Amino acid sequence: MSSKETWMRQIRAEIGVVAKADGSAMFEMGNTKVVAAVYGPREVQNRSQQLNANALVRCEYTMANFSTGDRMRKLKGDRRSTEISLVIRQTMEECILTNLMPRSQIDIFVQVVQADGGTLSACINAATLALANAGIPMRDIVTSCSAGYLNSTPLLDLNYIEDSAGGADVTLGIMPKLDKVTLLQMDAKLSLDTFENVMQLAIEGCKAVADYIREILLENTKQLQYRRGT
Amino acid sequence: MVGLSIGEKYFIQGGIAQDLRTDGRKRLTPRPIFVETGVISQSNGSARVRIGATEVIASVKAELGRPSALHPDKGKVSINVDCSPTAAPMFEGRGGEELSAELSVALQRCLLGGKSGSGAGIDLSSLAIVEGKICWDLYIEGLVVSSDGNLLDALGAAIKAALSNTGIPRVNVAAGASGDEQPEVDVSDEEFLQFDTSKVPVIVTLTKVGRHYIVDATSEEESQMSSAVSISVNRQGNICGLTKRGDAGLDPSVVLDMISVAQSVSERLINTLDSQIAAAEAGEDEL
Repeated sequence: MSSKETWMRQIRAEIGVVAKADGSAMFEMGNTKVVAAVYGPREVQNRSQQLNANALVRCEYTMANFSTGDRMRKLKGDRRSTEISLVIRQTMEECILTNLMPRSQIDIFVQVVQADGGTLSACINAATLALANAGIPMRDIVTSCSAGYLNSTPLLDLNYIEDSAGGADVTLGIMPKLDKVTLLQMDAKLSLDTFENVMQLAIEGCKAVADYIREILLENTKQLQYRRGT
Repeated sequence: MVGLSIGEKYFIQGGIAQDLRTDGRKRLTPRPIFVETGVISQSNGSARVRIGATEVIASVKAELGRPSALHPDKGKVSINVDCSPTAAPMFEGRGGEELSAELSVALQRCLLGGKSGSGAGIDLSSLAIVEGKICWDLYIEGLVVSSDGNLLDALGAAIKAALSNTGIPRVNVAAGASGDEQPEVDVSDEEFLQFDTSKVPVIVTLTKVGRHYIVDATSEEESQMSSAVSISVNRQGNICGLTKRGDAGLDPSVVLDMISVAQSVSERLINTLDSQIAAAEAGEDEL
């Protein structure tokens, strides 16, 4: 597939942007820019939440006041942010080997700097990179991409305008090596055949993101090796 | 932040007393500043500033509004800072509210002058469109992404850079509006006026540790401070605002000395910042 509808926006990622965090990354998909920071594994802050056999994974999603086109007077902890925090947490918890770090806590903080559609996907990709940067053991990386259906055409990686046009929007998250879907969300309606096409397109998008993420991690490891002098 | 042991505390205090800080700097040497402008394409102006491990983003948005009755010939500016949880786990939920409020108020004091609007570093009358009816409202938002001390200075620099990057759309006012009518305005999408930032001050924070003060403290050094004074100075060397933090009392002569030190440090800082901003803007134009 080489027509423009199946092209993703330009992606760019950087590791280690927040020096004080255990792991951090910045991920850009087109104009959507997201920063993720991971603190952990560390001691559980709230003893009552401690798990004896697993690590406790917590996540918070915040949007900057200037991230959307209209300046919004955001309230921290509004329903949409809470729901997205929950979704990210569940997705990342699935891939982290929590049984290796019992009685500890891993905090994932995701900050949206600029939003132009596909923020959930960018957040998950950034969180994956941040967790890898923190050296937290994972089953596989999680990559995410969105796809939609407008004017009878499946479109990959919708921006804000395309997303608001009223067609369906499918957000997908997969673990590429294990070939398992960990996140699937859709709004609006699609016939089953169309849905299969759109989902297949999203999976291709996720795999492309996975290739890019692996490149970035490999480059980062080479840098670390170089600095170590080997 | 992980707690410091007694040995580490003595090391930091002793180093400062001997003019050799833990990262090798002298007391009055700041860390290098890196400025990037135009990072938020949806805003009228934006900048990202990095000082060591501290990283902040500032964004300026301009919207049409109505001037206040007390100052019909001036526009309005509001400054708001938000501390992202990515900077520190304790900023999660509402944990960062206190610090955000403190930073917002300190910035307003340094950049916007007093209640009457006099002595503001930002020229509010340049924001007026139709006296008494329409003006520009500037919303300046700061976001702390990563924190390693000296947040106020970084935010001040970021706001100055963001304002340099700000383009106010040209407005054509329909002639012939009378009395109480709201005039018709046509906001141009193409033409922009660059905001004049020559009078915008920079903020220099002097942190007192023991008997000496240092410029550009890291968060380790800030944890050992007895008090800190943040002074905003403009290009002419005039003081535009002053904030003291911390519990310890300061001798008045010490405060006067700190002010003169801040004035000399700020001169270098303004030059560095201006050249960084010019380089950032030039780099952006090439893209």
